[in-house]
Amino acid sequence: MRRVTFVLLHALVIVLVLCSLFTGLRFSLLTQDWLMFISPLLPQGDLYPWHLASGSILSVLAAGYLLLSLWRPYRSNPDLYHLWVNRLGYVVIVCLICSGWFLWAGQFVGVMQPMHFYSLWLLLLYLVIHGWIYFIQHGKHILSALLPKRLEKQGLSLLAGVCITGFLLFTATRHSTEPLQVAHLGPDEFIEIDGKGNEPHWMRAPVYTIETHGGANFDDGRSTIHVQALANQYESYFLIRWTDPSQSTHHLPLLKTQNGWKVQQDGFYRFDERTFYEDKLAVMLSPSCISGADSTTYLGKRPLQGKPPNWHGKGFHASMDGGIRDLWHWKAVRTNDMYLADDNFFGPPAKVQQGQRRYSAGYQPDGKESGAYVMNWQWYTPNAVVPKRLPDPKNADLSVLPWFGSAPYLSKNDKYPPGSTLSSILYRSNRFEGDRADVRARGLWDKGMWTLELVRKHETGSVHDVALKNGTCMWFSAFDHAQVAHTRHIRPAVLRYSL
Amino acid sequence: MIARLLMTFAALLLITPLLWFQPLSPIAQPHPRFVKLDKAGTPLSPWQGPWSCVLDTQKQLVWEAKTDNENIHDGYWTYSWYLAANEHRPPRGDANLGDCYFESSRCDTQDLINKTRKTALCGLTHWRLPTSDELSSLLQSPARSGHVHIAQDFFPHMKHGDYWSADHSQPLSGHYQRFKQGATAVNFHTGELYPLPYRNAAFVLLVADLPPEFQSSRLKGVIH
Repeated sequence: MRRVTFVLLHALVIVLVLCSLFTGLRFSLLTQDWLMFISPLLPQGDLYPWHLASGSILSVLAAGYLLLSLWRPYRSNPDLYHLWVNRLGYVVIVCLICSGWFLWAGQFVGVMQPMHFYSLWLLLLYLVIHGWIYFIQHGKHILSALLPKRLEKQGLSLLAGVCITGFLLFTATRHSTEPLQVAHLGPDEFIEIDGKGNEPHWMRAPVYTIETHGGANFDDGRSTIHVQALANQYESYFLIRWTDPSQSTHHLPLLKTQNGWKVQQDGFYRFDERTFYEDKLAVMLSPSCISGADSTTYLGKRPLQGKPPNWHGKGFHASMDGGIRDLWHWKAVRTNDMYLADDNFFGPPAKVQQGQRRYSAGYQPDGKESGAYVMNWQWYTPNAVVPKRLPDPKNADLSVLPWFGSAPYLSKNDKYPPGSTLSSILYRSNRFEGDRADVRARGLWDKGMWTLELVRKHETGSVHDVALKNGTCMWFSAFDHAQVAHTRHIRPAVLRYSL
Repeated sequence: MIARLLMTFAALLLITPLLWFQPLSPIAQPHPRFVKLDKAGTPLSPWQGPWSCVLDTQKQLVWEAKTDNENIHDGYWTYSWYLAANEHRPPRGDANLGDCYFESSRCDTQDLINKTRKTALCGLTHWRLPTSDELSSLLQSPARSGHVHIAQDFFPHMKHGDYWSADHSQPLSGHYQRFKQGATAVNFHTGELYPLPYRNAAFVLLVADLPPEFQSSRLKGVIH
């Protein structure tokens, strides 16, 4: 390999590594709060395409460089220090590329996610001990190693070949899916939505398994999700099981103190509660199948131009192409006793409402005609609240307060001693009515595993729902007593119905 | 080499302040028209609460804010249209055909007006039904799917239904023709106006004129 070709490829590596590094650091901020101080230095917005594209081209470049080195190696004479530093760089980049592909595929995530994370820090170390030391040693002369003095046809052809092949790999990666086979359910076969999943019909539904990562709590933030699907002429049924070491059914409980009632929280004020929250599961459905949440994830403090920043600095979900992505949001306390999942959607960023402290961009609930849960406080402040209602004595320990079974709050009736707790969820009715109630669901937790059964019509007629049919893509995210910090996977599952 | 080290530290010194330049947390922005008022009538910032009334700076009115805490202003209560007699007019409408928990008998618009005046909500005692023009001036496209046609961040407990206006003696037609006359209602689900029989149970959003002596002091106290 000629020097000029090497310099050209080296320049490309610098661009790709920096793109991967900066976008990767932004992803790592989703779980690494202590790194938030570098947020102003990092890019914001829909970063999955940039990370996948740089990773794809880097992979092709690494493979091409390896082949080229075997065929016609580049001869240089670095000193012993740089020889070993370069070897470290090769190992780190190979680790990053391999672990990145495994994460994309959702396989061996328990090993690959830490490997990817720690390799990132080794890469930073490498950039310092390689690039910075060269700068200290050679000053402006390192520009000759960074910038080609002349352009040769061979080098440019190689560069173009790597970029084109990398882009093709990126395109294939971006549209790659894994099938989720939907087994047939006969008209005389029934599934009871009870969260048990014990009907024999489930036995013939193939199991789709995906390892998700990046959530709060869980076992190092990871949860393995198993999905099975059955469908009759009108409806599709889903049996979803996911690992969760703890059953969390307390949602911002109220604690009686010497100074009155107080909401137990450690992040709710910035809408990122991770302790006093219920378990949840979210399923996103889309007619398009783009890896990385179908371009609905906008990371950063203020990733949407002209819209407010978010409180936690993590980002927003929104659909900037104007399309609708359906979102089924099952909540272990708020919707489980309704035998429903909250039918939501990701749409275009909503209009800003000056009176609302929290702006949620494109994440919105479907419309409803009536029925709701409400928070059992008259007005939230971090220091003290006044409950709306107090339960009848027999209902004092319920995780959800029933309307009929509780009474309006009167201070003279508040005999609870300090240390008492009270549910913050109050059902004004048994369930939603209307568009928001399209997804029936029930979950049960047992021995470190949630089991959830879901059912929805193939076509609901709602503009905020996505039809269940061949080619519809799905993503799954689990929440372990966390408000927004959910697990994720990159490559979607695509529904394949049996004929 | 020392010069290069110094250059490195200089570059670090330039970058480090950027780390302190954290993007600002969300900041409350004033609404171009509405201001929250607490139960004493004191202005609040857009994210403060609880609030009992909404100052309408465009119309120089104060609107009742509905609640969900089962007091007399709860958004779930409905009322038949009825105004009691006074020195200027005879009684009009149908009394006690709405549903609420704060009356032993059923509810009408006069009940809510009386109780709201008695408690001097937001420091005001001249609460009344809004005219249909006043009430329909609140109509706007829903900010979210499933929301009603109003600024729901300032009027959070509005229902998908009819709200009474003060416009009475409206001729009824079609299905309601047999009742001859009724009052105009504004439907915040559809954004439409139409007359309904006095006996219908509909929701109510009371309004009060902003007294001149209050205007400058209230508006001056607005916290944006």
